[in-house]
Amino acid sequence: MKPAPFAYHAPRTVAEAVSVLADHGDEAKVLAGGQSLVPMLALRLARPAHLVDINGVAELAGGRLANGHLVVGATTRHAALERDAEIGTAVPLLRLAAPQIGHFQIRNRGTLGGSLAHADAAAELPAVTRALDAEISVRGPSGERTIQAAEFFKMVFTTALEPDELLTAVRFPVWGAGCGFAVEEIARRHGDFALAGAVCGVQVAAGRIERVALSMFGMGSVPERLDALEKSLTGAPVDGLDLADIGAQGVAALDPPADVHASSRYRKQVGAALIGRALSAAIESAAAEEASRA
Amino acid sequence: MPELPAVADAGTEVDVALTVNGQPRRVRVEPRKTLADSLREDLRLTGTHVGCEHGVCGACTVLMDGEAVRSCLLFAVQVRGADITTVEGLAPDGAALSPVQRAFREHHGLQCGFCTPGFVISATAFLAAHPQPTDTEIREGLSGNLCRCTGYQGIVRAVRAAAAELAATEDASGRKGPA
Amino acid sequence: MTSDSILTPPSQLRGGVGAGRWIGQRLPRREDPRLITGRGRYIDDHQEAGTLHAAFVRSSVARGRIAALDTSAALAALGVVAVLTAADVNSPSHQFWHTVMGPGERTPGRVLADGDVRYVGEPVAVVVAESRYLAEDAAELVELEIDPLPPVVDVRAALRTEERVHPELDSNVAEALPEMEIPGFAERFAGAAHVISETFHQHRYVCVPMETRGIIATWDPWTQQLDIVLAAQGVHEPRLFYARMLGIPEDSIRVRQGDVGGSFGQKMFPMREEHAIVIAARVIGERPVKWIEDRIENLISGGHAREESLKIEVAVNNEGVLLAARAHHLENVGAYPTPGNGANGPTAAGMFPGPYRWGGPGSVAYTSQAIYTNTCGHCAYRGPWMMETVGREQMMDVVARKLGMDPLEIRRRNVISRDELPFTTPTTMVYETVSPAETLEQAAELIGYEQFRRDQEKARAEGRLLGIGLSLYVEPQFGFGSLGTEAATIRVEVTGKVTVYMSTGGHGQSIETTMAQIVADEMGVAISDIRIIQGDTQITPYGAGTAGSRTGAIAGGAAHAAAHAMREKVAAVAGRLLEVSPGDIEMASSVAMVKGDPDGPKVTLAEIAAAAYLNTDALGPDLEPGLEVSKRYKAPQFMFSNACHAVTVEVDRVTGQVRILRYVISEDCGNMINPMIVEGQIAGGIAQAIGGVFYEHMIYDSDGNPLTTTFMDYLLPTAAEIPDFEYGHVVTPSNTPGGYKGLGEGGAIASPPALLNAVSDALAPLGVTLTEQALSPDKILTLIDTAG
Repeated sequence: MKPAPFAYHAPRTVAEAVSVLADHGDEAKVLAGGQSLVPMLALRLARPAHLVDINGVAELAGGRLANGHLVVGATTRHAALERDAEIGTAVPLLRLAAPQIGHFQIRNRGTLGGSLAHADAAAELPAVTRALDAEISVRGPSGERTIQAAEFFKMVFTTALEPDELLTAVRFPVWGAGCGFAVEEIARRHGDFALAGAVCGVQVAAGRIERVALSMFGMGSVPERLDALEKSLTGAPVDGLDLADIGAQGVAALDPPADVHASSRYRKQVGAALIGRALSAAIESAAAEEASRA
Repeated sequence: MPELPAVADAGTEVDVALTVNGQPRRVRVEPRKTLADSLREDLRLTGTHVGCEHGVCGACTVLMDGEAVRSCLLFAVQVRGADITTVEGLAPDGAALSPVQRAFREHHGLQCGFCTPGFVISATAFLAAHPQPTDTEIREGLSGNLCRCTGYQGIVRAVRAAAAELAATEDASGRKGPA
Repeated sequence: MTSDSILTPPSQLRGGVGAGRWIGQRLPRREDPRLITGRGRYIDDHQEAGTLHAAFVRSSVARGRIAALDTSAALAALGVVAVLTAADVNSPSHQFWHTVMGPGERTPGRVLADGDVRYVGEPVAVVVAESRYLAEDAAELVELEIDPLPPVVDVRAALRTEERVHPELDSNVAEALPEMEIPGFAERFAGAAHVISETFHQHRYVCVPMETRGIIATWDPWTQQLDIVLAAQGVHEPRLFYARMLGIPEDSIRVRQGDVGGSFGQKMFPMREEHAIVIAARVIGERPVKWIEDRIENLISGGHAREESLKIEVAVNNEGVLLAARAHHLENVGAYPTPGNGANGPTAAGMFPGPYRWGGPGSVAYTSQAIYTNTCGHCAYRGPWMMETVGREQMMDVVARKLGMDPLEIRRRNVISRDELPFTTPTTMVYETVSPAETLEQAAELIGYEQFRRDQEKARAEGRLLGIGLSLYVEPQFGFGSLGTEAATIRVEVTGKVTVYMSTGGHGQSIETTMAQIVADEMGVAISDIRIIQGDTQITPYGAGTAGSRTGAIAGGAAHAAAHAMREKVAAVAGRLLEVSPGDIEMASSVAMVKGDPDGPKVTLAEIAAAAYLNTDALGPDLEPGLEVSKRYKAPQFMFSNACHAVTVEVDRVTGQVRILRYVISEDCGNMINPMIVEGQIAGGIAQAIGGVFYEHMIYDSDGNPLTTTFMDYLLPTAAEIPDFEYGHVVTPSNTPGGYKGLGEGGAIASPPALLNAVSDALAPLGVTLTEQALSPDKILTLIDTAG
């Protein structure tokens, strides 16, 4: 299983990288962590004539807080999302999602940008960006643009990125005090892609859900944001929530995929349970956060 | 760090300088040659094994700048200037085994031995990051490597034992193992 | 050598009853130092200069006619030395048969597909180039057009349809074990209080050794010698096979194997790709031609297993005593099974009675059919006949539930104990040293069966689904025909080192350790002075291959016999040197001394060897010089070990996932050469069973396309999915030297029904009847939902 031949580019700057992409269009693929792309090359499912290795582009690394947002560079490794104290405090969902991505060997190389650009509908990070309404920064030959998470994921493995565009960073809002978060998933084995998963962020005040964000992965061809359910939960008291009913509501309109690992019906069934688990875990974590500050 | 040309054309070979097991080495590879293949063929370090070529089985695991990575998912051209450790480099003086290697032997952590280099490398990296792992953490930490012979019994025991030995070593000397 | 001197009762072994200084010890392995430092030498580690690399062009269609095959573009590609098709490679003179099955196999043999294709993955052409990278590039340039034909994928369809997997044959039946006239058989059912019937299905799952298959073949046109390095389970049978296939003398072929990364049956018999490489080497000449199977090839085309069903009808009385059984075994053996017709039914028939008494002779009737389909063919997989246990042990629980009896109780009422030995089963197997009842009791005690039932009741009241499952089985070791012997040649070197050439082909079985333990004890030699050598037809004695759980007893028997004979030779020379009778010589740690005189004169094995080889004038006329001995041990045709598996599980009714709570094995493999290695073998088999029951499924769609072709879709269990196992040992020594019995396959045979019974037990209150695998979480939730 050897890849087909390709020319290898190692740009040092974003501008260089974009220039290579512009030259070669859809004959070029960006190589970040390689944990998803290289298997496809080995299977010859992908055979780009040009591979653009962005691991050496210093501008793409690292994260910084700015104006109530956390901006994370595209080549930030999953391992960094798991371990970096600043990232974990500012956007806990990243810290919670990352350890569930594959295995630590994969997390040492896989990147935030790569995960979003690859857009596997069963992946955690795209669902996290959807839940948080993150903004995805992209650079192309005609300059920079920002794509809302809601517009970024088009279809499984398909995003709004043009072939000559490079995802450079992701801008996450930082939620304030009194917030809790959770990422819950079911997989066949530890570290596998989720059969179904739920992402939840909740802000609790005076015993009520002041704000809630819910998204799912593995439940469609893109990460699914559960807007209607969020609306119905906003203002609800955290005590006495009927989690089974909430879960059923959340998946009602979804049509999850079927594959060799699980049927659509199974995903829907466990998806409903996962919504309940994620919501209740997020509420608990909000209470813990509240208590720790008291 | 020696510079690659900005572009290495398909099918043409380029020089890549890197450090392997503490020694400066140089390989001449076309861009698509994986690090796993290059280590095995160009450097004759055949201890790193190829089990699946799509990043699941972990037999090809090496340390790159101290971190465990799948060498079948890296191209040799990508690792210029990097510091690679393979299973052959875990016991540098050749005579003594590393604590993890010793533990694998004492606890019957291998049968056919094909997955073993990947496990030993992964366990070494895992214990460096998790010096006092719970059993669950050990099993989850090992879940990125597949074994077909042992049922993981001896492997889990070996990692438990190595963790204990490394902790004792650190207590005694105030300095952290592993080699 | 008479048989008496081979049958050394354990108590007369050096060091005492059953155990010696080394035998019986959990000795760390002698293989490990090179393997844990990455200095093993597996097939792909052989990297001779000038080696060429092969890649195959394979059918992407399950059945069809080859409309076009054009290799010209591939031949012109960079680095390509040859592109071979059926026209270059196939020959009507080729014979494809393995010793163990004999000639006249029904399955039509061919190396490359010729005119038509019969399964997805069938090799059609082989490209040989300067690197695997270039070979794969060129393989893509081979133009292959296939006109599809309707494939036969399902066994029941295969039996009904006029379409032939092999048009040369008159049906899609590869082999059948027909119904036999058994007088009085029908009456056993007619008169029974209960007749209970059920059909159990098992899905397709596969060996997946961590190292794929591989071969390096070199043809020297000057010496007319064929040199093969093979990832194998033994070197001698592949040599015989290729001598037959090519019609060349056996001694013009040398086969070697180095370290082998697991096999589980898949590398036991070379397959069509290896044949193509051997022929490619002959066509090209001089340069080694190497093929290393990649993982996709291994999953699609490396040999499949386990897809079968067993319909069982049992006659039982009101007390739960089994009176009679009739079983029909239906197997899907694919298009090109290896070896022979790939049928496991005939072997399963003999083992089906298992550890239970039944109703005496003529109380069990077993028929089988092995069916061809347009899928990858069968290969051996650890306990290939295991469906008899998978079906029988699940049936025990079905019968128990129908009679309102506990599965432990029904087994207690039927199980054979040591008091009843020797016991002849209804299928004429003679058990001499088994202990099923004893292992049943030990397993039940270790797992805390009664306590679990109490815990289960409490848990059920809380709505939790806990279950316990048992499985009892008897494991054969085959010692008939070519499998009947193993051999050991021992050579004490001039410097006193001990080299043991074994007929075995180890691939993870720790043979370098266990055989050294035997030789060290039997000869009184320092274990560090012993080197075990396997796997070279020029050097090691003939062996049929390391398989069939034969190593402990049969290879062990050979090691014992050779070491015993060598000890006598050594004693003779030592006696001459120390001027005592050989009977007064005692050996320990490679030093000979006079019995009862530990502080008296001594002579080292090195000194003895020097005398035997170099100072031969001083030996005298009646003493044979040198220290070289060869012994071939003949085992009984069948020997049996046995075990009981007990497992507790919890089924998550929200997700359908199954958590194994505890897993207990009570194993009787006689005396254990090395208990650590015994437990390791059991554990590996159980892990493959856990994989098979819950995670692994080789799925074909209705067009015969395999769907689970990478490790993303074919799921092997990881350390996170396999719990700790707990072992109890019952020791009933065999009547063979050392008292050992084989056990390598048992874990994989006995475990699936224990797991299935546990899940059945957990789901029983919901009215679920479990007759199918694989138990994905989806499947379990579906079973729960549809039963309720």
